[in-house]
Amino acid sequence: MKTAPFIKPKFNSTQKVMLDVVLALLPIVIIACFAYGSLVIIQFLTAITVALLAEFVLSAFLLKKYNTILDGSAVVTALLLVLTLSPLVPLHIVAFGAAAAILFGKILWGGLGKNTFNPALAGREFMSVFFASIMTSSELWKTKGFVKTPSEQLLPAADHSVFSEYLSAMVYKTSGAVGEYSILFIVLGGLYLLLRNRISWHIPFALLAVFTLLLWLPGGTQLHYSTAGLLLGTIFMATDMPSSPATPNGKLYYGMMTGLVIFILIKGGVQFEYMSYAILLLNAFSHQISIQFRPSAWGDPTDWKQKVEPVFNLTIKILGAAFAVLSLYYYDLIQYVVFLYILYLITKFNFSFSKKINNAI
Amino acid sequence: MLSIPSLKKETKKKQIESLEDPADFYIPLSGYKGMMEPVVKIGETVKKYQLIAEGPNIAGKMHAPVSGIVNAFTTIGNKAFIHLINDFREIEIPAPYFDASQINLEILQQTLSDCGIQGAGGSQFPTHLKYTIGKEKINTLIFNGAECEPYLSSDTALMQYEISELLQAAKVLQNVLGSPEIVFGIEKHNKTLKTLLLENAQKIQLAVKVQILPDTYPQGGELQLIKSITKLELRKGTIPSQYGILVNNIGTLRAVYDAVFKSRPMIERIVTISGNSTSKSRIFRIKIGTPIAHILNLNDNHWNPEKQTIVMGGAMMGKSIDSPLQPIEKGSGGLLILKKLKTAANNCIKCGFCIDVCPQKLMPLEFVRHNIDDDLKSLHSFNLQDCIECGACAYICPSDVALMENIFEGKIKLSALAEKSLQ
Repeated sequence: MKTAPFIKPKFNSTQKVMLDVVLALLPIVIIACFAYGSLVIIQFLTAITVALLAEFVLSAFLLKKYNTILDGSAVVTALLLVLTLSPLVPLHIVAFGAAAAILFGKILWGGLGKNTFNPALAGREFMSVFFASIMTSSELWKTKGFVKTPSEQLLPAADHSVFSEYLSAMVYKTSGAVGEYSILFIVLGGLYLLLRNRISWHIPFALLAVFTLLLWLPGGTQLHYSTAGLLLGTIFMATDMPSSPATPNGKLYYGMMTGLVIFILIKGGVQFEYMSYAILLLNAFSHQISIQFRPSAWGDPTDWKQKVEPVFNLTIKILGAAFAVLSLYYYDLIQYVVFLYILYLITKFNFSFSKKINNAI
Repeated sequence: MLSIPSLKKETKKKQIESLEDPADFYIPLSGYKGMMEPVVKIGETVKKYQLIAEGPNIAGKMHAPVSGIVNAFTTIGNKAFIHLINDFREIEIPAPYFDASQINLEILQQTLSDCGIQGAGGSQFPTHLKYTIGKEKINTLIFNGAECEPYLSSDTALMQYEISELLQAAKVLQNVLGSPEIVFGIEKHNKTLKTLLLENAQKIQLAVKVQILPDTYPQGGELQLIKSITKLELRKGTIPSQYGILVNNIGTLRAVYDAVFKSRPMIERIVTISGNSTSKSRIFRIKIGTPIAHILNLNDNHWNPEKQTIVMGGAMMGKSIDSPLQPIEKGSGGLLILKKLKTAANNCIKCGFCIDVCPQKLMPLEFVRHNIDDDLKSLHSFNLQDCIECGACAYICPSDVALMENIFEGKIKLSALAEKSLQ
C-alpha cells in the first residue's frame, strides 16, 4: 500500500530537470559549433558518446543499475565538459575526460546525486593532470586560424565605436573556451533555468555580487579573467544541484564564498583554472554549508549568536583551503591532490559507497 | 511554500447531495488516540443517535447513524469496527432538551463530548478537549475554511450552502468563550464567499472578520493558519489556547451546530467524491460508517483496486484503502478515485525543493538519510518530530524519493525510543 501523496506535479522528474539544462545549454552549444565548425561538433559528439557509453557500462558493472543513461545526466556532464575546453583539445583527451568525469565524478560516489564534486569539472581536472603537457600549453589557446565564422562576418558592425564593439563582444566572439563565445546566450540560458525553477537565484547572485564588490576594491581592476567563463561557471556549474548546498541561506553563503575564492585565486595568479578550482573547492564544503545554514524549525526561535561561531570557523577553513590550493598551484603539486582523490574514492567505494548503492541518498 | 494547481474545478460549485443509506454500517472503534469499547452487545437493537461505543477521553464516542441491529464486532484491515445492520426504520432516541441560550463553557464541553464531536479536518482530535482551556482567555476564535487539499470542496460547500448554521454555531461558541474575535480563514480562490459570510453574519448581529489566505499548500495546517491570521509562529506541540487562540474546522463547526441546536451527535459529514480517474465528481452528506463500496456503486464508480488507487481523505494526506468495506470516518473529507501513480525512484539529487516547500522549515532529505542509517540522534536533532506529515516534500521531489515512508518509519523509531526511555 502506497503512502500519500497520491498526485505529483507534471514535468518535474529528474529527467525533465536534465532536459531543461540541456535546452538552456543548446544555444551556447550551437553558436560554438557555428564558430569552429566540425572541430567543435566532433568534440561534442565524442564527449557525449563516451559519457553515455561509460555511464552504461560502468553503472551496470559497478552499480548493477542498467537504465541510468536514461536520466540524462551523462549528456549534461559531457556538454559542460566540452564547454570548458579549448576547441583544439585532441579527441582522445576529450574522450578520456568524459570517461573520467563519469567514473571519478559520479559512478564511484554511488551514482547520480551522491557525488560531492561537479563531474564535468572533476573530468576536466583529470585531463589537466594526466595530459598536462598538452592541456597547459599556450598553443592550445591559439585558435584564431581555426575559426569558421569570424565575428565580423556574423555581426558586421556598422561603425567601429567602442560601444558597438563591446556590444558585439557580448553577443559573439571567438576567443576562449568552447562555452565562452556568447555572453548573451549564457545569460539567456541562465534566465531560462531560473524561470523554470531549475536553479535558484541565490548562488549566482551572491557569487557575482561578492566578486564584483571585490573588483571595486583598490587594485582589483587589473585582474585578468574571462567574463564569459565566469558566467558560464556561475550559472551552469556552481549551481549544479548534487554538488551545491540545498538550503537557501546555505546557497547564499556558498555563492559568496565561491566569489571570494575565485577572486583570491585570480589575484594569486591562477591562470585558466580559477573557476574549476574555486567551484571544486567549495563543492567539498557543500554538505557542511547546507547543514550549517539549515533553517530553524517553524516556531523555533532562532539564536543567531549560536550560529556565528561555527560559520566563522567554516569560513576560516574554506579560506585556508583556498590558500592551500594556491600554494599547491604555485609549487606545481596539484596533480598529487588528484592522485590522492583517486586513492580515496576507490577505497571509499570498496568499503562504503558500494554498500549504499540502493539508498536514495 | 508549495502551490498546487487547483483540482477543485469539478467540485467547487456542486450542491450537497444526500446519499441513500447502506444496509451495512461499519462503525470505527479506533479513536483519536486509543481505542473505544462497544457499549452495546451483539444482537442488540439500537436506535438512531444512540451511543454505541466510547473510550477514554482522548479517544472519542460513537453513535448509531441509523436504527438497526448490532451484528458483530469485526476487523477490516487491522482496525476494529462494529458491524451494524440497518433496519431502515429510522427509530430515533428522543433528543434531550437543550437550551442553547443557557449554555456555558462547562455545558459546552459536556455536550461536545457527549455528541462525539471530533475534528473534521482530518486529525479527528476530540473537540471538547480543545474547549478544555482552564483559565486561558481566548482572544481569537479561528474557523479554518482553508481547504488546501487539492481535490476537496467539502468545507467550501458548507460555507456556500449552510452558512447560517455555521454562523449560528459560531455565535454560540463566541458567547461561551467570552466574546473573542471571530476570524474565518478562506483561501483566495474562494474569495467570493467573503461577502456571503459577512452578509449572513450581519443578519444575526455577529461580528466576524474574514481573512483571505494565499492558495498555498498546506495553508489549512493549524500552525500555518495561525501564522497567516495572527502572525504568531507556534512550534508544533504548543497548545494554541495558551496564546489565546482556538482553531476549529468548518466541518467541525457544522457538527457543533447539530450538537448545540439539535442535541444530536456527530453521525454524518460532508464528503467530496472526486479524482482523476472518475468523471463523477460530487459532494455528499454521508453517514459515518458507510462503506466506501456503497458510495462508489451509487456514484457509478466501482471498486477496482488493480486500475485505481482509492483514497480516503485528500490526495496529499489521505490514506489509500485496501478494502471496499472500509467506512467513512469523522475526519474523512474526501473519497478520491485516482489513477495509479507511476514513480521513478531515482537518487536524491539535492535539489532542495523539499526544503523550499516544507511548511515547518525542516530538511526532509536529511530524514531519509538518517532513517536509512538508523541514526535516531540525527533524526531528533533535525526535528523530525516537528513534521506535520503534509506530504509537500514527497509531492515536489523530482526523484520520487520515498520521503513520507522514511518520515513515518523514523517517527515510529523515535517514539519507540521515547517509550523505552520512559520505562
